[in-house]
Amino acid sequence: MDKQNKINRRQFLGTLGAAVGAPYIISSGVLAEAGRPGANEKLTTALIGSGGRGMGLMNEIRRSEIADSIECVAACDVDENRLAGAARSLARGSRKPVTPYRDYRYVLERKDIDTVVIATPDHWHGVQTVHSAECGKHIYVEKPACCTIEEGKAMVRAANENKVTVQVGSQGRSQREAYLSHRYLVNGNIGHIDKVWCFHYNSPEDNNPVPDSDPPAELDWDMWLGPLRWRPYNRKYHHGVFRWIMESGGGQIRDRGAHVMSCTKWWMGADDTGPVTIEATGTSPRRGLWDSAVTMHVTYTFKDPDWVLIWDQETGNAPPAEERKPGEARIVRPGYGAVYHGSKDTFTHWGGDGGTWAERKAREWVPPPGAKDVRKSPGHWEDWFEGIKTGKKTIMNIEAAVGVANLCVLGNLSFILGRKLHWDQAKQEIVGDEEARRLMGRPQRHPYHL
Amino acid sequence: MPEEKLKEVVSDLITKIRDKDHNVRAKARDNAGKVGAPAVKPLVAVITDEDFEVARAAKRALWKIVRHAGRPGADGERKAVVAELIPLLRDSQPVPVRREVMWMISEIAGDEAVAAVAAHLSDKELREDARMVLERLPGRGSLRALRRALRTVPQEFKINIAQSLRARGVRVRGFPCQKLVPTRKTDLKPVG
Repeated sequence: MDKQNKINRRQFLGTLGAAVGAPYIISSGVLAEAGRPGANEKLTTALIGSGGRGMGLMNEIRRSEIADSIECVAACDVDENRLAGAARSLARGSRKPVTPYRDYRYVLERKDIDTVVIATPDHWHGVQTVHSAECGKHIYVEKPACCTIEEGKAMVRAANENKVTVQVGSQGRSQREAYLSHRYLVNGNIGHIDKVWCFHYNSPEDNNPVPDSDPPAELDWDMWLGPLRWRPYNRKYHHGVFRWIMESGGGQIRDRGAHVMSCTKWWMGADDTGPVTIEATGTSPRRGLWDSAVTMHVTYTFKDPDWVLIWDQETGNAPPAEERKPGEARIVRPGYGAVYHGSKDTFTHWGGDGGTWAERKAREWVPPPGAKDVRKSPGHWEDWFEGIKTGKKTIMNIEAAVGVANLCVLGNLSFILGRKLHWDQAKQEIVGDEEARRLMGRPQRHPYHL
Repeated sequence: MPEEKLKEVVSDLITKIRDKDHNVRAKARDNAGKVGAPAVKPLVAVITDEDFEVARAAKRALWKIVRHAGRPGADGERKAVVAELIPLLRDSQPVPVRREVMWMISEIAGDEAVAAVAAHLSDKELREDARMVLERLPGRGSLRALRRALRTVPQEFKINIAQSLRARGVRVRGFPCQKLVPTRKTDLKPVG
């Protein structure tokens, strides 16, 4: 079809819109080059990584404002048992058949799929986001965005070059009490903030180590590893426990750090900035396969403006949770959050992810006339959808998410190397340490590469 | 450190890494970095211990040594550790040992390790690790080795080498990138 005769999806729907009330699934093969659907169009999606988190995300979609605007038509997983269960479950909520795939690249080939939801272990986020962007899919990817500095750069580049909308799953930014916290802080209620102390409990240790073994029949171990260098299977790698492996999950700092420090960077107006030094100490597990830090203390120093961000991962360090009155949202995850130290006062929040709880003074603060307002998310999924439709930057866009993930990555690098690192934010690189520089990226197995 | 004292320190490290108590092993592992090059070979001998937790402690102690030696301003220590690691890539070492040692080399070595790593490009079990390690090793030596490999490795592996060369900024003719080509099928059928 030549360009003159090409009809894009919006034009097509425009001709249908008056006659047909219900939204239709239209192949993205007829999507316009700009890739932005109209307000009433129904999009198709595929879930990549259909384990607990992936299915949780699809349930969130079903409960969200975009539920009627998106249809799941495919699921991918490297575990056949999980995949079969996911396909059955997703088909119950879809008018279209749900096709199961082991290899997500079959999804990327399909022209009728507009968006992907990526909920694989972290070591796949970079590669799958880049590939999805290169195939023109809009992307929701779980946090942390990346496992290495170089992955993050590639993700930003791929999203921008292919003009796709990316929302990263640090949902804290879309919570009501996060908005109230942000508004309270930017209006100077605690004065100039020069220290943010993030608290979190320990990562677990593997107290029942098992030897390497053959992988179970239902698991494609090679594909689970994907870009990681090959190693024998051990059942302590998966499923959810990948989190405690440095290469794949990165421990609490790359899990919850990507939530709590996401709020910090946003509220401090620091999305476009980075630390100049990073210094981590901590303890490693005494046994077992898991190798992410059990306790961990990282100090990030920012300059111009000068402030310090501390990641303090040690059980028992959390401040007591605020008592809530009847009818107020209860703080159900008091073990992590952050305390903001200002020149006039302090401010505490708990959680920072899908559950974010602000100290009472922020919740009860009534903005005086002329007070600054801040961006208020309509909801994390809704915000993503708005980004897809309008091209507006999402609240946890890929640049911001990579900036947060870089904090986590640099903290872990300082921990494993046992030394302070120096970071050049403008060049996005570690300076003065050749070994650390090499660890900004990691070579990837063929063909699972950026 | 006097040689006798050094032997004592290394011996103490190995004894503790072999200890039945994981607390003792962990403490020894955490303090291994400063022992440095003299502990490399003795620790490698423990990497294949039949007690997988002892083997794991030895491997992680070795990584501590590598990362301590890689710190800025410690070039002498770094070279000494690399000099101990390179001979461990000989065929006499088991595959898992050579695989681990190659990755250690990838963090702290330079041209001096290229030949030993490149030799594994003809080993079916280790060639993919060798390729990735050469991709990471900076300098002209590793680049030359990758270019040479593009002519010499078996046809089916040339595409992997091309991937590394492209990652190093080299334009490669032929061997189109396979990253978006799906290959892994499921027998499951569509539902609904």
